[in-house]
This record gives sequence, structure tokens and C-alpha cells, in this order.
Amino acid sequence: MPEKKLICYKCRKELELKKANFSYLGHTFYTDAPTCPECGIVYISEDLVKGRMSDVEMQLEDK
Amino acid sequence: MEGPRILCKTWSVCPVCMKRLPAERIQIGTEVFLRKTCNEHGIFNSIIWRGLYDINEWVKGSDRLSADNPQCPNGCGLCSDHVQKTCCVLLNITHHCNLQCRFCFEDNCNQGDDPTFEEIKESLVNLIERGKTLVQLSGGEPTVREDLPGIINGAKEAGARYVQLNSNGIRLGEDKEYVRKLADAGLSFVFMQFDGTNDEIYETLRGKPLLEIKKAAIENCSAYNVGVTLVPMIVRDINTHNIGDILRFAISEAPKVRGVHFQPVTFIGRVPENPTDYERITLDELVFEICNQTDDMIKPGDLLPSSCDHPLCGFHGDFMVDQDKLIPLLKRDNPEQQCCCDSSAAEKNREFVARRWQRSPADPNDADLCCGDLYDMEVFLKRIKKYGFTVTAMAFQDAGTMDFSRLRNCSFHVYEKGRFIPFCSYYLTGWTQ
Repeated sequence: MPEKKLICYKCRKELELKKANFSYLGHTFYTDAPTCPECGIVYISEDLVKGRMSDVEMQLEDK
Repeated sequence: MEGPRILCKTWSVCPVCMKRLPAERIQIGTEVFLRKTCNEHGIFNSIIWRGLYDINEWVKGSDRLSADNPQCPNGCGLCSDHVQKTCCVLLNITHHCNLQCRFCFEDNCNQGDDPTFEEIKESLVNLIERGKTLVQLSGGEPTVREDLPGIINGAKEAGARYVQLNSNGIRLGEDKEYVRKLADAGLSFVFMQFDGTNDEIYETLRGKPLLEIKKAAIENCSAYNVGVTLVPMIVRDINTHNIGDILRFAISEAPKVRGVHFQPVTFIGRVPENPTDYERITLDELVFEICNQTDDMIKPGDLLPSSCDHPLCGFHGDFMVDQDKLIPLLKRDNPEQQCCCDSSAAEKNREFVARRWQRSPADPNDADLCCGDLYDMEVFLKRIKKYGFTVTAMAFQDAGTMDFSRLRNCSFHVYEKGRFIPFCSYYLTGWTQ
């Protein structure tokens, strides 16, 4: 969890770390990501996008 | 049965006099042949597809043969009519070999002088595009050279992104210290001839039992974290029945073994006799045998036609090893699958194969990778980097099957005297009459 609190802009609730599912090219994975306990919106950090998500994309992409 | 149907018009050569000839891919029943007529030597039909799957679905508009070019294939050296860029470059560093095989691209083994170390270094500097090139050191058998570590080092210094060694594995199995020197010099991975899981196959194809030395080569390469891809040449009635066992063996040796690269026998260079259609192993037949002999652990849809070369030149499948099984990562019918039949295909292919064939750096904390939930992104990433596995094939052309539409899509080139020459035109040899 980042040091700063993350608040859902809509529900005004503090985000909690929960399992979030990601699908890419027919494969589905989960990882922990800050999620609104009320509406379920997921915050995807730049670190996650440029790190693991980009890594998964590269591994799964065809040549 | 329906009459012959022309699927595609192309160009080829007469297998006897090597004269350029118009040619056609014709379908007769379910089978597809390359047909051409030489005024002097007659009609030639060579089977290229047995009709086990739909060839039109497989090829899908990949024929982009432009106007006839009278230089093709004898003046081959990547002219403006060539469609594809270079994916891998092969450099022959010796004519010498420690085997005398029944089939070999190189018909003149052990004849003539080898290039000097300085000549090879000069070639490497000329052929390598810094930070990009995948260079394959080949022969003959490259490991007969004592200066191979220096050559690998020279390739890396010249900027090669990957250095691949094509080897029969004998020296690699016998001489662990030599393998260490190759690894220290920067060897990326090894393509090792591996025709089967029993010695009868080696005795027939290579003249001696070699299975144990191949296993030792895998171990020695593993000791220095050098990935090995097994390369079986598939020959009718000799190892066609062994395809499933080769795959099971390779999977059991992951992550030391990174995949299997099948090469259906090609009738170029040294061959026992001119081929018959019975002896030819077509690409669709190979797909069928892989699936059938693995009890559908691998399915036809897991193997995709080549987009880097012409679809009739090969296929690739990307997998992850899970215990003794393979999990497919690519699906032919996946609508999200990107099409990459553009000019960047060669580069994409190079990165695709290299990220699988190269072993990831040894990590003492990843010993428990056999377990864990593969839906967990972190577990998947660790697992795929260590246990990624490819099943690929390349069907080379000979004087019977030579098809200029395929040739002009070739991304696998031999470097010689300043020229990049498609593999199949470089090695093309005529038949005896």
C-alpha cells in the first residue's frame, strides 16, 4: 500500500488492498491493488503498469 | 476426386539443371504439390501439404510474389524484391566436423581451409548491427575450433545482441571446461542436434550412438546457465514415431532445455538419394504428429504459422512447463492476437525466440517454482521466465520444393563475403539424374 491514503473520488471511502483480476490475450491473472470497498473501482499505479503488467504483456505477446 | 486446382502461381527451379521455371502450387484431392515443367528434364511434382489441415487457412494471403526477377535465386543477396528483413544471421566458421551424417546441408565437410580467426572477426564486424543482431555460429561443427570462445567474444564486442551456437553437442558433452569458456565469452544459447531418445536413431542418422553424450551436453550447458534448444531432424521411418518422446524428454529437462525446434528432412547438400513424396515430411504432417504423439497435450491451434518467414516455412508455439505438461500461451484463433506480418516481424521474432531460448539468470530464491498459483501475476512471471518453452519448426526448401514466394519472405540469412543470402538459396543443390 502506498504511504499516502487513497480515497475513492466517488464514494469518498479509503481504498483497501484487494485481489484485482487482469485479462490479456485470453489469460487472466490477479494481483493485489487498492480497491474501493464500496464501488469496487481499482487504482492501478504507474509502478504496476510499467512493472508487472508490462512484463506480463511482453511475455504473452506473439512475435 | 476433384481435378487439380491451382492455388498459387510462383517460380521455382528445375531440380536437375537448376534453370528457373514458372511453378504452381496445385491441389489434387486434399494434397498440395509444387509443380513445374522443364523442357529438357520433364515435369516435377513435390508434395508440400498432405491436407491434414486447411492450407488456405494456414497460408492466409501471405504470398506477395512481385514481378519475376531473373537474378532469383542465383544472384541472391537480398535485393529490392526481398520482402523480409533479417531475423537471424548464420555465419559458417568451419567446414570441419567430427561426424559424417547421412544427411547434411554441408556436402563438403572436412575439405578446404577454414577462415582464420581474423577473417571471422572481420565478418562479424561487418554483419552485426550493434545491439540487434542474433548471430548463429555454424559449420561444419563449430566446436572443433579451439578459438570458438574468442569468436564468441568477438561477436559480443562487435555488438551482437545474441550469440547462438549450432552444435551436434559432442564436444559440449565431453569437455565441461570448454563449455565454461564459451559461457564466459558470452554465449547466449545452444541449438543442439537431437534426433531422438534412443541410440538406434543416432546410429542410423549419425553413424554412432550419441544419446548419452547429448545428455551430458545438456548438463554441462546447464552448469553455466546456457540454455539448450533441441533440434531434431525428422526423417521418415527413422524417427517420425519418436516425436512425442522427444518432446516429453525435452519437457522433463526444462529449464535446462528451452524447447524443441523440429526440422523435417530437406534434400540439399549430402543426401542418400533423390527424394520421393513418401519421404517428405510436410509441415501439416509434423503438426499432426506433434499433437497425436503428445495425446493432444499440444493442440493444432497452439502452433501458429510463421509470420516472420512464409507460413509454409515453419510454425511456432509458446508454452510454459507445468510439471510434466505444457500450458499454451498462444492460440491461433485468438481474435486479440496481434498480426505482425509487417516489416518489424523479423525483429519481433528475434526477441520472441531469444527471451525463451536464453536462460534467465540463476536466482537462488526461485527453487520452489514448481508450486504456486499460476493465476497470481507474480508467480506467473517468475514461472514463465524460468519455464518458458517453445515448440518450433522450420521446413527448409530443396530443389524440388523451392518456391520463390517463400524464398522472398525468408528472414534467416547466411552471411558470406558481404552478402546476406536466404538460407535455402545459399544451400540449394541439384539432384542427380
